[in-house]
Amino acid sequence: MQNLLDPAVLNAISGLDLVASTVVDGFVSGLHRSADFGFSQEFAEYRAYAPGDDLRHVDWNVYARSDRAYIKRFHGETNSQLMLLVDASSSMGFTSHALTKFAYVRFIAAALAYLATRRQRDATGLVIFGDTVRDFVPPATRQGHLQRVLAALLAAQPQANTSYAAPLLHLQSFLRRRGMVVVLSDFYAPPADIVRAVAPLRIHGNEVVLFQVLDPEELRPRVDGSSMLVDLETGAQLEVSEDYVQGRYRERIDAHVADLGREARRAGVGYHLLQTDQPLDQALLQYLRLRTGRD
Amino acid sequence: MGWLAPGFLLGALAIAVPVWLHLLKRSSSQPRQFSSLMLFEPQTRSTTRRRRIDHWLLLLLRIAVLLLLAAAFAEPFVRGHLPGAAPEKLLVLAVDDSYSMRAGTRLEEARREALAIVAAKARDTRAQIVALGSRAAALTEQTQDADVLSTALKSIAPSDARGSLVLLAGLARTLAAGTQMPIELHLFSDLQATGLPPDLSELRLPPGVTLVLHKVGQPTPNWTVESVAAPAQVWDPAKTRIVATVAGFGTPEATRTVTLFIDGRSSGQQSVKVPASGRASVVFAGAEIPYGLVRGSVQIDGADALRADDSYDFVILRSERVHALFVHQGSDQATGLFFRSAIESAADAAVVLDAVTVDQLRTRDLSSYAFVVLSDVAGLPAAVETHLAAWVKGGGRLLISAGTAAAQQRRVPVFDAPITGSHDYTRDDTRFAAVAAVDEAYAPAGPLAGWQGIKVFYVTRVNAPQAQAGLRLADQTPLLLEKPLGQGRVLLFTTGFDRLTTDLPLHPQFVAFVDRLATYLSGRGSRSSALNVGDSVELRPDPALRGSADVLAPDGTHPLDLREAQQVRSWPLPAAGFYVLTLADSRHDLVAANISRLESDLTPAGDDKLKLWEAAGSAGAAPAPGTGAVTAPTPIGSEESAHNLWWYAMCLALVAVVAESLVASRYLNTLRESSK
Repeated sequence: MQNLLDPAVLNAISGLDLVASTVVDGFVSGLHRSADFGFSQEFAEYRAYAPGDDLRHVDWNVYARSDRAYIKRFHGETNSQLMLLVDASSSMGFTSHALTKFAYVRFIAAALAYLATRRQRDATGLVIFGDTVRDFVPPATRQGHLQRVLAALLAAQPQANTSYAAPLLHLQSFLRRRGMVVVLSDFYAPPADIVRAVAPLRIHGNEVVLFQVLDPEELRPRVDGSSMLVDLETGAQLEVSEDYVQGRYRERIDAHVADLGREARRAGVGYHLLQTDQPLDQALLQYLRLRTGRD
Repeated sequence: MGWLAPGFLLGALAIAVPVWLHLLKRSSSQPRQFSSLMLFEPQTRSTTRRRRIDHWLLLLLRIAVLLLLAAAFAEPFVRGHLPGAAPEKLLVLAVDDSYSMRAGTRLEEARREALAIVAAKARDTRAQIVALGSRAAALTEQTQDADVLSTALKSIAPSDARGSLVLLAGLARTLAAGTQMPIELHLFSDLQATGLPPDLSELRLPPGVTLVLHKVGQPTPNWTVESVAAPAQVWDPAKTRIVATVAGFGTPEATRTVTLFIDGRSSGQQSVKVPASGRASVVFAGAEIPYGLVRGSVQIDGADALRADDSYDFVILRSERVHALFVHQGSDQATGLFFRSAIESAADAAVVLDAVTVDQLRTRDLSSYAFVVLSDVAGLPAAVETHLAAWVKGGGRLLISAGTAAAQQRRVPVFDAPITGSHDYTRDDTRFAAVAAVDEAYAPAGPLAGWQGIKVFYVTRVNAPQAQAGLRLADQTPLLLEKPLGQGRVLLFTTGFDRLTTDLPLHPQFVAFVDRLATYLSGRGSRSSALNVGDSVELRPDPALRGSADVLAPDGTHPLDLREAQQVRSWPLPAAGFYVLTLADSRHDLVAANISRLESDLTPAGDDKLKLWEAAGSAGAAPAPGTGAVTAPTPIGSEESAHNLWWYAMCLALVAVVAESLVASRYLNTLRESSK
């Protein structure tokens, strides 16, 4: 089952919902009901119904016996919400193998949305952004919402430049509930600027996690002799030598990753580096850890 | 190592192209998309790095391809053996089978040495056997089969032909033109001095031919009847003189007995003292010669290695004197007198001249005359001209002199050429014209020296561009013209035989000229008393003749097959002896063929000349006087020869091309992957 978390295997699956369920179901079964995590399906307690609660969660058996409406509460059910911020700039279209960074991000976002919606009953929202907010799916838990999120993910295509400030500022106006914000991007920007842009999302007690998705070629590029490189976002060209790529560039990308992680931690923001040739469980595992820590 | 076409090495300069392309490619790489250049620094581009060449292996392979191609076209060669390969060459064994090889055991020695060469040759070496006589006859194809070569060598028999070393040079050129292999040419011969041409450059051998001479035999004294001067045609045996010359080559002084045989019977015998390595002549006069074609022979008592040249054969035709008709104007009696006197003054006086006037010509039967002379006739009646022209067309010969009387006519009868005018040189300042040009190949004209001092005062000018001019005056006016008419011939002397138009009758040249004319017109000059082996006899005088020719050889065989008998025009005499010929026009003839007396001198050529020739053959250059470089022949299979390596260079170039393709394909795939 672990193989189904392999991006190359998932890439062969056509339906994004099927990808999401495959990833999450496989992931969950692989956890063997670890004591570290409480899933929403496990009963925890009853609490009195309050206006606004979803009537689907009312325990009608108790209501019949006691004429009181109680809401059935489960482990992990904290009325949390998950906000997925997906970078759909042109640089996300890069790949050195069969799967682009954006396709990888799309799988992660779909899997997280599926896990949050179906397993955790969390409201899940989605923001597709580049230099502006291109698509926005407000967080909700109602039936069919997951399909809407997945449809928005499918419709998105990598294009234009990246700007973290404007989209995240725009997002702040929608974050009224406590929840988790997951930013999926390659983060080609100065780490301080990125952290400065995402730090305000931590208001209302939100947990912010940065998933930096990079292609292996970006971390360890291979250049034979010299190459003329073209920036996917700006179109700028630059001739680079093999010596530089294998030396100075590696130092700079490693420093960039390290700086971003350090800056994020310093600001109380989670950070994880994901490579597109690695399984997706790292992202799901990280999500659950944060989710559990919040309960 | 050397180069046959070094100019092609300039093609190696083309290696600059791939070097330039590799440098160019380095600075114009294919753009490749990358997610972000944020972490790249523009200042990392290095000028030094830019100039470095990428894909060294590919570049080296491309340079190798160009260099090898240039080398292949420049045709490198090395001398000596290629490692692991037997030297490739063509072995040509030429065995002299000329008459001189009959002396002693020369031919056997030559054959034995040639067989030894065949036995010693490498099994895969191709060889060819050639018999060198009057011509170079290939006895085998170029073959590796030693049995075939040995059989051909054993089949070589001595001939009566004259050997010429010039033929060998021609053979070498022919062989070299037909093969790319170096040729090793072996000549097995007695290498007579008489076989060498006066100019050694005629023995020039082409490049790639190595000459190895195998001299056989030792100098041997030899006497011979060197020549016989006998008239081809006689009418009065009492006046006949047969002069024989006896020569000795390398001989001591000795007395030889010389015998004249006529039709196989001894007709006279004399003794003559021949000086050491000298000559002596014997004259047989008044020998009894029967009518018809007679076989004559002069023999000496044989006491040497070559017997066939102790006899010299010849043929004499004895016939009655021929008659000629001299036609003149009735008033001109003097010219006929001059002409008759000249003819009767000739050595053999074989022509009887009948003088008639134009009116008398009408009733004459021309078939009994050998030729007719029209002496300055002022016009012929049409019937007479037609009669005369028909006789000429049937094979008759006519001499016309156009003096002052004939010049008054509009055309020359029978000769059928318009008279354009006349010129009286006595009215010029020079008073006369001299003979200035003589076609000495034209028998009646004779040598120019004889015409010096002859004055021509008057000449008739005709328009006859198709006629052959045997004599011309100083102003290029033709004096003697000839043109064919049917099977006969018409000669035009554009002045008279009288003393008014020329002073020729007053000079001795007149007798000689008239005698040559008479001989030529009567046909007596067309035959010779003896020929040499290798000379050709004409069997079909007129190519249009459909008749069958035949030859009866001395050995009693008929060498012509049916096709040759129907088609052959001339035929070379292959051996010494008498040949009975039946010509295509059914006439019969008898010819005598003698061995060339150049073969009788068994003195070998000087070693210095032979070594010079051999060395020049080894170097592929013409021998030059004073060149001292002489290389001794080396044993078969160990000598150095030039090996052309162009094929190896081309193969290496092909390998380099394949390697370049593979390496380039690998680089191309890498670039494709990089560009994705």
